[in-house]
Amino acid sequence: MSVPVEEGLFLVKYGEIALKKGNRGAFVRRLRQSIAAKMPDLQVRVTEVWHRLYVRFRLEDEARVRTALEKTYGIVAFCRAVAVDKDMVAVTAAAVALAEGLIREGRGMRFKAEVRRADKDFPIHSHEIACRIGEELLNRFPQLKVDVHDPQWTVRVEIREKAYVYGPETRGPSGLPSGSSGMGILLLSGGIDSPVAGYRMGMRGLALEAVYFHSPPFTTEKAREKVVLLSRILGPYITGFKLHVVPLTAALARIKERGKEEETTLLMRACMMRIATMIAQRRGGQCLVTGESLGQVASQTVESMRFTESFADLPVFRPLIGMNKEEIVEEARRLGTFETSNLPYADCCSLFSPPHPLIHPHFDSMRLSYEELEVEPILLECLGKMESLAI
Amino acid sequence: MIYLDWAASAPPEADILDAVRDVSLNRFANPSAAHGPGRGAEAVMSSCRARLAALLAASPREIVFTSGGTESNNLICLSLLARSPGGSPGARTRTVVLSGLEHPSVSEPARLLEEAGFRVVRVPPDHTGILEPQRMADALDESTVLVSVMHVSNEIGSVQPVEEIGRAVAAFSGRIGRRIPLHSDAVQSFGKLPLTPGAWGLDAVTVSAHKIGGPRGIGALWIREDSQFPPLLRGGGQETGRRPGTENLAGIVGLTAAAERKCGRMRGDLEIARALERRLISGILDIPLARIVPEGRVGAAEDAWSPYIVAAAFPPIPGEVLMSALDARGICVSTGSACSARHGRLPAALLAMGYPEKTARCMVRISLGARTTTEEIDAFLCAAREETAVLGRMAGKGRR
Repeated sequence: MSVPVEEGLFLVKYGEIALKKGNRGAFVRRLRQSIAAKMPDLQVRVTEVWHRLYVRFRLEDEARVRTALEKTYGIVAFCRAVAVDKDMVAVTAAAVALAEGLIREGRGMRFKAEVRRADKDFPIHSHEIACRIGEELLNRFPQLKVDVHDPQWTVRVEIREKAYVYGPETRGPSGLPSGSSGMGILLLSGGIDSPVAGYRMGMRGLALEAVYFHSPPFTTEKAREKVVLLSRILGPYITGFKLHVVPLTAALARIKERGKEEETTLLMRACMMRIATMIAQRRGGQCLVTGESLGQVASQTVESMRFTESFADLPVFRPLIGMNKEEIVEEARRLGTFETSNLPYADCCSLFSPPHPLIHPHFDSMRLSYEELEVEPILLECLGKMESLAI
Repeated sequence: MIYLDWAASAPPEADILDAVRDVSLNRFANPSAAHGPGRGAEAVMSSCRARLAALLAASPREIVFTSGGTESNNLICLSLLARSPGGSPGARTRTVVLSGLEHPSVSEPARLLEEAGFRVVRVPPDHTGILEPQRMADALDESTVLVSVMHVSNEIGSVQPVEEIGRAVAAFSGRIGRRIPLHSDAVQSFGKLPLTPGAWGLDAVTVSAHKIGGPRGIGALWIREDSQFPPLLRGGGQETGRRPGTENLAGIVGLTAAAERKCGRMRGDLEIARALERRLISGILDIPLARIVPEGRVGAAEDAWSPYIVAAAFPPIPGEVLMSALDARGICVSTGSACSARHGRLPAALLAMGYPEKTARCMVRISLGARTTTEEIDAFLCAAREETAVLGRMAGKGRR
């Protein structure tokens, strides 16, 4: 065998990137960097052969590499592979080793073998190779059964520049490699929606830095810790993810003092948009991302969002805008943020929501209310106290 | 740091921890072992058992060491699952009667019992936070198999008339010709207020070490000698089979030392604590917006309240907000019980007393201990006055 035993191999399939024609090379480079950036301390080699990515790693690092690939945007699926010399003894031996592992993991007894002979110079035909592998497996493990219609697992073999034997596929998050679509600032609360919004935009190749508005003592340290926990779930997907924590209490005090009660939430959101825009300018962000969903709460009506986004000089992306709460919750569960988001520590929105907030604010009069706050110097002061955490 | 969260956990006494360490290092043998060091460990344990029993005016055979309050309370409640209902299976309803004040380590196992088919009756306290013995008695019937009433509410500090409830349960038991066991969670009263469970007609009492300056992870149950609480845990037969598992001898030494110290100083400490309590309550009432929860505590008989726990509310400021503001100034208080705060639960006692959620959300608990000083109380009052003035404006109604 040409791969030393202590080295493992993953075959990585990327979907959408393959359609990029002229830019494909740039996207693939981004994907390779994005895989490598996830494990800077490991000896991992990412190579491209015949429009496929291969990730080579030391066997002892397999679990970490697997976790990293599961969290790499751009990867549609990956599978454990063995590269061997193009001869039937080596190929069947690799298939036997693979089957042994799968049986031990309890994956079931019904299997099939699938063979692609890309190298037409190889003297044995696909069907014949599949039969020989099947026969050998049945010999070695008499409890196995061939089931070509409904197998529990499949041994895949490809005869290319080498012979590759693949195990079952693990799905990746798909989408575009992190950073291939630029960088945005995510407004991250402790709620259910914003981490999902970040995940979705990340999937479209947007690198993200998040901002959390902390309002002690109205939000507790526990609420801030919760956002750090959410960042730790979302962060690994995104190259260069950071969490910026901005204390907003001084601005809230000004809103309470000068603002009308029913306008509190909208004015607060406006301040957040202002600060997020300023952070984007400093950090090279090209857009803002929020977890807003049309009509979910008073500040997420068309009129409210027209007002709040008028404070952002950048495009505001709201990937959840057309989603129902149940759909968002389902996605948060899949992502693994739901349980953390659902912890009870109140964020400032829930403590400062007036009993009867404006639902259909008048744009001009709201802009005037904001002007009357004379809050800009306070916002700069808040920004000055920003703390940035690498996650 | 000004620590006013003694009811969540008391600062440990250094010399007691030294003794715990010493036993861990030098008395490491298994007390069940037959060799010399094992017998030595067993002797230390027997002496602790006798000393702890003496503090409760009980017999050593009535003491079962556990890992703490939660385990003790669970052991009592869940023992019902290990007992056969008698008669034809499923034919008899079995009822558990609880006070509406109970700590989650009683109320949650009770929910488990409910899922297993038991009926659970929760008797609410009156508006002053105290159970009327007659209402407890009225809740008993032929199907009652356990009554549990905590001695001192961990949330508001009210002392429950456990002795009178004991008499009522005994009287009812006499009428039906079957003893109904009465359990009391005394975690917040042991070492702080007089507690003589045998004389009060109780069947089981829960105590814990870390609320009185002892180490974490050790507690005990007092179980009346003729009472049966078959355990769910089975094992090597330690604690006469009532709580199997190798005994935590170091913890037992710590519990015993802390209990002896606290019980020995009970009267003196209580006098000091009453003075601090009066200072605290009158200081709180001086703060605009502030109220003592329940209001009925002010001017009520001293015996009905533990001076070590005072609940107050500063509406409209959420308790969590005031707690955070004080925390930032190095003053530790809590909202309700620590166990509830973690889960965002509202104080059960207040809800059981019929307080609206809005008020319950504003509650903070200030709990004192043996080392609390007047200066600390004054510092708390000063900080609370300043913080509530600022926060009241912000949490209250804005401009209309």
